[in-house]
Formats: sequence, structure tokens, C-alpha cells
Amino acid sequence: MALRAAILRHVRVPVKTLTLTGRKSQPWGPNGASLRFLSSHGDDHLSKDEVIERVLSVIKSFPKVDPSQVTPDVHFQKDLGLDSLDNVEIVMALEEEFKLEIPDKEADKIDSIGYL
Amino acid sequence: MAKVVPARSEVLFLFRSLLRTARQFSDYNIREYTKRRTIDGFRQNRTLSDPDSIASAFSHGKAQLEIAKRQAVVYSLYAPKVKSIMDLKPCNTV
Repeated sequence: MALRAAILRHVRVPVKTLTLTGRKSQPWGPNGASLRFLSSHGDDHLSKDEVIERVLSVIKSFPKVDPSQVTPDVHFQKDLGLDSLDNVEIVMALEEEFKLEIPDKEADKIDSIGYL
Repeated sequence: MAKVVPARSEVLFLFRSLLRTARQFSDYNIREYTKRRTIDGFRQNRTLSDPDSIASAFSHGKAQLEIAKRQAVVYSLYAPKVKSIMDLKPCNTV
């Protein structure tokens, strides 16, 4: 009985990791900022690297940004030559990517990837 | 009409509100149009320096926001039954 339980537990582990990796490799669409139809429940356990990667992909897909210039510590307006309107657009794109809503006060403060 | 030049934060707030409202449309075409129109409109007017034209552009934007909000509600009652092909998941089409 104990052996059976142990085997069952053992069997379940790979299945879990499979669904996890399946979710990770979910294509994000050609422009990154496109809507993802997964519910936000699946996104509760994102690792920090994964978040950074997704943030970078959103910003790289922004039409005016040169993808080669995007690094984790780039400043939107100083380094990428964006204006405050672009800034708002990026924050909106990030909201769509992560299916969340950023309050205006916080959104105004986001001016670089490092800040995020 | 009183012409008050809006503060920078007010303009950005209007911009953000318009984009937020644009997202609520269930129809892909209307959603994308509203978003595009908002971005283009703000870009077009970004170089305005005359206080009068800034104020009128701002009040025009506010009027448009009211319209967009109302239409988002109206269109949600008559949402299209079939999604636009552009709305489909990319992984389904590949």
C-alpha cells in the first residue's frame, strides 16, 4: 500500500512539470503585446526570470524600440528615445501581457525596466 | 468657454483613460480602431503650443472619452457572436 502511494506520488510529479513547461512555452503571438487568453490563475507562480523575460519581450515588440538596445536596466525616455505617450503605451501593453491593472499613480512612476 | 490649459498629468490621464476604455470593446475592429485613433490623435497634437488649441484639443478628447465609454456599454449589449479571426489564439492558427 505504501509502495503504491509512493509510486502514485512519483508518477504525478512529472505530469505537473509537464503542464508547467507547456504553459511556459505558450507562444505569445507575433507582437508580444497581443492578448493571451489564459486566465490569470495560471500566472500566479511566475519566476522572476520569467517575468523579466516577458517584460523584455513586450518592450522589444514595441514598434519604436530598437530591440537590440533593450536591456534589463534601460530607461525608456532617456535611453530609448521614447516620450511620455510611449511610456503610457508600454505600461498598457504590460498590463495586457500580465492581465493586471496598474493604478495611475503607480503607472506614472514606471519609467524604466529597472523600476519594474 | 473657459480655456484652461491642462496639466501634463491630466493629458496623460486622459490618454490612459481612452486606452483603457478602448480595451473594453468586444469587437476587434472597434477596439483596435479606438486604440489607434487615440494614439494617433495624441501624437498629432503633441506639438501644439497655443494655449487655446491645447485646451480645445483636450476638451475634444474628453468628449471623445465620454462617447467611447458610452459606446463601450452599448456595443457590449450587441457584441458580435463570432470573434474576428484576428482575435483567435495564435497557437490555433499556426
